[in-house]
Amino acid sequence: MTVNGEPSSETVTALHELLTPFNKTGVDLKPGTRFSEDLNFDSLVVMEFVATVEDRFDISVPMNMLPDITTIHELAVAVEKIVKADRG
Amino acid sequence: MAGIFDRFSNLMAQRDAILAGDGADPFQVKMDQVISQTEAIIGNRRTILCGTNNYLGLTFAPEALKAAHDALDAFGTGTTGSRVANGTYAGHKELETTLCEFFNKDHAIVFSTGFLANAGVLSTLMGPGDYILMDADCHASIYDGVRASQAEIIRFKHNDAADLDKRLARLADKPGNKLIVIEGIYSMLGDKAPMAEIVAVKKKYTNTYLLSDEAHSMGVLGRYGRGLPEEVGCEDDVDFIVGTFSKSVGTVGGFVVSSYPDFGMLRLVCRAYIFTASLPPSVVASARVNLGLVKSGGALRTRLMRNAKILHNGLSEIGLKLASDVSPVVAVVAPDPQVAVAFWRGLIEAGVYVNLALPPATPYGYSLLRCSLCAAHTEEQLREVVAIFKDVASKMGLIEHKARRVAAG
Repeated sequence: MTVNGEPSSETVTALHELLTPFNKTGVDLKPGTRFSEDLNFDSLVVMEFVATVEDRFDISVPMNMLPDITTIHELAVAVEKIVKADRG
Repeated sequence: MAGIFDRFSNLMAQRDAILAGDGADPFQVKMDQVISQTEAIIGNRRTILCGTNNYLGLTFAPEALKAAHDALDAFGTGTTGSRVANGTYAGHKELETTLCEFFNKDHAIVFSTGFLANAGVLSTLMGPGDYILMDADCHASIYDGVRASQAEIIRFKHNDAADLDKRLARLADKPGNKLIVIEGIYSMLGDKAPMAEIVAVKKKYTNTYLLSDEAHSMGVLGRYGRGLPEEVGCEDDVDFIVGTFSKSVGTVGGFVVSSYPDFGMLRLVCRAYIFTASLPPSVVASARVNLGLVKSGGALRTRLMRNAKILHNGLSEIGLKLASDVSPVVAVVAPDPQVAVAFWRGLIEAGVYVNLALPPATPYGYSLLRCSLCAAHTEEQLREVVAIFKDVASKMGLIEHKARRVAAG
């Protein structure tokens, strides 16, 4: 899991897999890739994508967290934080 | 140099692309005359109204018109004040009493619109450390309300009680109240919540409450029109019911009812209640009279459902794709927004008004021609609506132009 605040490669790989079908702009997926600007996500796509992340990790991502999640890296950190809080 | 509207440039480009071509703007329809609950003059054309959410057709009920006229003469055109200042007249209190009697609940609070009722209640009912679990397809007013609250907001999959259960289970050890938010009938597709299943899930957990927005189901479902909880038989398990007067009740305004003893506290904390002017006396009077007509409106509900079947079956038989089961909302799916706009224009030019609903306001990214039925529609009107749908859709090549189907042996 998280080492020195960096998300694990498993988490990042899983997110990349989930993102692939949503990656309509075809950009390279990097930690700093932005959902809105680089991947062109609108609010509907965000909701759909978050639902797949929730299913994959068996978590709930509160809507309140979404405004602070702008990049893949931030999402990976948030997912691990929620997983840790849920599983203890 | 950035203009203040530059941030809408993408949206403006989308709008221009979708609305390209000749024809009326679906979002700027003007009704020049309203002939009845089911007909209006739009652009010099007599038009059948098939998208007004006027489910029971009470907008011209003579008893309500008279009550509104009397209140107008006695109390004036407006209250010019908030409910907590000078904007509560005897009528507002009588309307709240009538609502309590209508729903068999102890308390009712009237807001100026249904939107404000949701915004006011959902922003205040849950606080820091609490959780709101909302159906993903909830109305914009619910989204805005919960966003303004201090609670943690979790969405569950539309009409999926098992998904709700899973999410509540993750929160089981956490202190704090949990509020489940659903709608009796969802506005875009007219589908009902699986309320019995949701109530069963709710009962598994402590400190867990249920709020249902009955905007589209009040007056439509239940023997006395109390909506989905009445139809399902779980009224005591729904802790808060939000509703509107702007659909079946035929006027405007919103409310929330509940039997929690301290419910009245919301009057002191809901900004959407405190910082806006109250409903005008004429509206209050007509709402109160129409609530009685809703309650005794079993015959209207029967007609409404008959009409729903006629339109649903008629549109289905001509080969259109419908996204809904038989319900007072009939959602016709168009392949994309441009086609939906052209379809809508064809209908309005032929004298039929329906709602155009496009993503992101629709579930599954659907482009919809959303029809809603009225108890006052005649069978003849609905046959005409189906014929016009058929004509427009055939001309656009959306359905096969085939001879009338003959029943096969």
